[in-house]
Amino acid sequence: MADRRRVNGPGGSSLPPIYDDGELDAVSRRQRAPDAIRPLYLKTGVTPSASGSAYLEIEPREGEYGSGMKLTCTVHGPRSLPRSAPFSPYMVLSTHVKFAPFATKQRKGYLRDSSEKDLSTHLETALRGALIADRWPKSGVDVVVTIIEGESTRQDAVERRVEEWDVMNVLGGCITVASAAIADAGIDCVDTVSGGVAALVAGKDGDETSIVLDPVALEHESILAACCVAYLPNRDEITNLWFKGRLPSAASYNHQSLVSRAVQASKGTHGLISASLSEVIGNSQN
Amino acid sequence: MAPPTYDDDDFVDQYDDLEEEEELSPEDKIAMQNGTAEVRKALGVEAGKVTVAQIQEALWHYYYDVDKSVAYLTKTFIAPAPKPAAKPAPKKAPEGKPGAFSLPANQALFLRTFGEDDESLGHNAYSTTICDIHRLACAFPSIEKPQLSLTFFDDMPWLDIPRDRETVFIEPPRPRGGLMGGSGAAPKVSKLQALAALRKKKNEEKKAQEKAIPLESEVTKLSISDTNKENIGPISKLKDQSSQHNSTVASTLQAQEGETTSDNTGNSLGEDASLPTITEYKPDADIKFEEAKPVVGHSHAPSAFARTLFGSVPEAGETRRRDVFAMPYTQSSSFLADAFSEPSPDDIVLAARAKAGKKAPAAAAKAPKKSQKSEEASKEASLASSVSSLKVSDAPPPKSKGLDVLKEFEQSASKKNVSFVVVGHVDAGKSTLMGRLLLELKLVEERTVDKYRRQAEKAGKQSFALAWVMDQRSEERDRGVTIDIATNHFETESTKFTILDAPGHRDFVPNMIAGASQADFAILVIDANTGAYEKGLKGQTREHVLLLRSLGVQRLIVAVNKLDMVGWSQDRFKEISEEVSGFLTGLGFQEKFVTFIPISGLNGDNIVKRTEDAAGAWYKGPTLIEGLEASGPSTVRSFKKPFRMAISEIFRSQQGTTTLAGRIDSGTIQVGDALLVQPSGESAYIKSIMLDTEAKDWAVAGQNVSVALTNIDPIHIKIGDIICHTTDPIDIGDTFTMKAMAFEHLLPMPVDLHRGRLHAAGQIQSIAALLDKATGEVIKKKPKVVQPGGVARVLIKLEAKVPLEPGQRVVIRSGGETIAAGLLE
Repeated sequence: MADRRRVNGPGGSSLPPIYDDGELDAVSRRQRAPDAIRPLYLKTGVTPSASGSAYLEIEPREGEYGSGMKLTCTVHGPRSLPRSAPFSPYMVLSTHVKFAPFATKQRKGYLRDSSEKDLSTHLETALRGALIADRWPKSGVDVVVTIIEGESTRQDAVERRVEEWDVMNVLGGCITVASAAIADAGIDCVDTVSGGVAALVAGKDGDETSIVLDPVALEHESILAACCVAYLPNRDEITNLWFKGRLPSAASYNHQSLVSRAVQASKGTHGLISASLSEVIGNSQN
Repeated sequence: MAPPTYDDDDFVDQYDDLEEEEELSPEDKIAMQNGTAEVRKALGVEAGKVTVAQIQEALWHYYYDVDKSVAYLTKTFIAPAPKPAAKPAPKKAPEGKPGAFSLPANQALFLRTFGEDDESLGHNAYSTTICDIHRLACAFPSIEKPQLSLTFFDDMPWLDIPRDRETVFIEPPRPRGGLMGGSGAAPKVSKLQALAALRKKKNEEKKAQEKAIPLESEVTKLSISDTNKENIGPISKLKDQSSQHNSTVASTLQAQEGETTSDNTGNSLGEDASLPTITEYKPDADIKFEEAKPVVGHSHAPSAFARTLFGSVPEAGETRRRDVFAMPYTQSSSFLADAFSEPSPDDIVLAARAKAGKKAPAAAAKAPKKSQKSEEASKEASLASSVSSLKVSDAPPPKSKGLDVLKEFEQSASKKNVSFVVVGHVDAGKSTLMGRLLLELKLVEERTVDKYRRQAEKAGKQSFALAWVMDQRSEERDRGVTIDIATNHFETESTKFTILDAPGHRDFVPNMIAGASQADFAILVIDANTGAYEKGLKGQTREHVLLLRSLGVQRLIVAVNKLDMVGWSQDRFKEISEEVSGFLTGLGFQEKFVTFIPISGLNGDNIVKRTEDAAGAWYKGPTLIEGLEASGPSTVRSFKKPFRMAISEIFRSQQGTTTLAGRIDSGTIQVGDALLVQPSGESAYIKSIMLDTEAKDWAVAGQNVSVALTNIDPIHIKIGDIICHTTDPIDIGDTFTMKAMAFEHLLPMPVDLHRGRLHAAGQIQSIAALLDKATGEVIKKKPKVVQPGGVARVLIKLEAKVPLEPGQRVVIRSGGETIAAGLLE
């Protein structure tokens, strides 16, 4: 049933139509090296009212719509659990991932749908491995990630049904931004967990398969498989692993290779988190 | 080591020690001797507290480490801790084995590459190095773990850990809080925080100074420092590594590094290195590593959205905005910027008043003491006194003028103040007579009466027009009877009169009692009509006369009314006069105090003017008004008695004043007197006194006054209550003995006690005695019943406590009839 209480915007953002002859032109193809990740902008301490917060922006390609992403994360806590909650010797972590209604081409509802809940679960698993939860008994922490702008803002993203692959990137971003926000909140972690995505993409004919880091679904003809990891570089541990798709049986890749590539991507992201956080520390020490 | 309690283990230990001691080699013995001497020296004065055996034992356990032994001895014997925790490890672990580091392979590689040539790096570099490398990662303590050797904790003593082995906790640098997108400046520190930080810093400095010297000596002497340095070596290398990594290093090294890392990653993930895919992707991995690592540099500039979100705030902070915009009127020459910066004159007055209102009594009381102490106090006192003179009207208590009321009363050559009650049977024409009287005295305008007349005609009660002067209530007018006392005032040349127009109807006898109790004398109105007179004599004429008598009214004017209806018949007048005077004398009225006047209330004959009717010319006596003027107060006014006043009416007025109306029974009052309202027991102050319509400072017994009270809640006052002075309050009680004259048969039965407006339900508890009417002697004790006309002493118990005093006259009624009147004893 339609939401009649709010004055809703149009079902989708209105962008000038792009007439596509069905083939990807050279401009929209991937310009980066297969093992390069997109530049990020990460800033912590953006929400004054939260214990910790972070804002992550993945740069869209110049002059292009729909390959960038904006996420914000707020961390509330650690705070005492409500009276109704049962005793917990560990910190209770709860994560909420929500797309802003305007984040994607297909407008999202105000209630969390199943894909958002799925992302929340993944994020929770990813963070739980990094948090030292037993230092905070009887307390809870809420991690709320809001996707302000998703990748699938382009109409052809809807048409080509690439959202399922974009979810991978979203999860990677969620993990990264949540990790930075938790560090901003000063919650004890074994390491800053970072997300990384790698995908096995097929060429035009479907035979030139290759593994790329930080894939953008629109830039490729098709994606065969993708993997998102949450990785602790200093411990060399993976806290969460999401593998999607099917590897072609004939291909000379196996799952491990894809995972290791995703780990490489997350290492790159981790360097960024470290840089961003140390910049903040540097600022505060000066 | 001699444990205080001996269990088996201790015995064995001790035995073992002894065995070992026996086996001391010569070198050991020399070392032991030297050590003992050193320890004794180190202990100094305290050396006497430990035995040589203890020192030697300690040295043995610490392998002749003098410092540790001293520390141990000090702790155990000289200044013993609550309980020695455990024995120190008996044997020192072998020196760190090569390859025992749990470092990742790449770090181990660097260890090999660079060798151990950089041992000159001090211990202090340890923490700083880590901090430099992982400036941020310091926040995550577990990171440091893998960089410590496995043997690090070997031969670590339980207590008194050497300084260099203690963990250095570096407070994780907190991300800067602050507002959204705050500027790069450090967050502001509150004054308290700054103070705390300063103190902390001082303490630390002090501590450091204290410990610096022994610590250094300890460190230099430390025998295990080698292992430490080995541990630190690779870490310091790491720094080099990172610096080299950032700078341009030989490509071979870089290649090697990249290779090892990718290998490492592959291995750590359990990937089979023999797979061809890996080799195929190795170059990729290399490139990636070199690119992904410095992705830090790849962080892109914030988008317009982010800039809007975070960027603008510091900018806004920097650009100074004008906080105040000048209003146009400030340009005017007559504008004063600080015109309202000081309190206004009104504010000053209000503040002073408020201050005085609060402090005046206290300050005044303390003034004598304080004046000696400080000038300020005296100032305050003077302020208080000055303010008290301009006291706000409703500030309690109103100031008494301290008048001698009786003197004032005598000096004031005022007219006599007399009140009279008009009684008689219903429809005898009481209200009409009073209306006529007021009309004749020009106290009521003809026009008003004409209006009433028209209204009465409309209502079909033409003859009631004059009565409506007194009967103001709609209910009274509808029913044509007076219900409650109507009070009015008029004055003649010599006297001020208060009219109390009593209801004649039998249902309202309590109201008549209330009126009669306020009266000095009474006008008994008798209907001269045939039948009406007879009916009246049986009815309320009789009862009213009884009540008047029992309430102590002695002077009576009998107005034989409606004589115009019987044609001014002298015979009729005579008949009535004789009959009534006989009846009155029978009740104890004195003949000289009873006057008979033939009148016509409706027409106004013989009221102010003599009748013009020829038929009535036979009457030569005084008119009603002359009769009234002739009648003084029947009783001696009790000025000197304590003040008593029964409340007959209550008016609630604004702001805490309550106005009461009533007749002062006895005593005097003046403004400012403290009063007590009984039976509620609440006190109040007299704010003002109104006599008729003029304000007075005082009032005396017999006057009908309105008294405004302050400091009392109206809920504590009800009609019928008695007010008295707080100094001489009236008692309240619920059990009374009284001498009662019975009009009906008196039995122990439920009764109502009436005194003025006050009436209370109660019961005749017992009849104590039957008394003689004249002498008052006891005729019969404990009679069962009192016959009508008999006098008895009865005990009455009331349901509530009421203010009654001995000597007061009360009326006892039961079932709507007056059954007795009495005097309280």
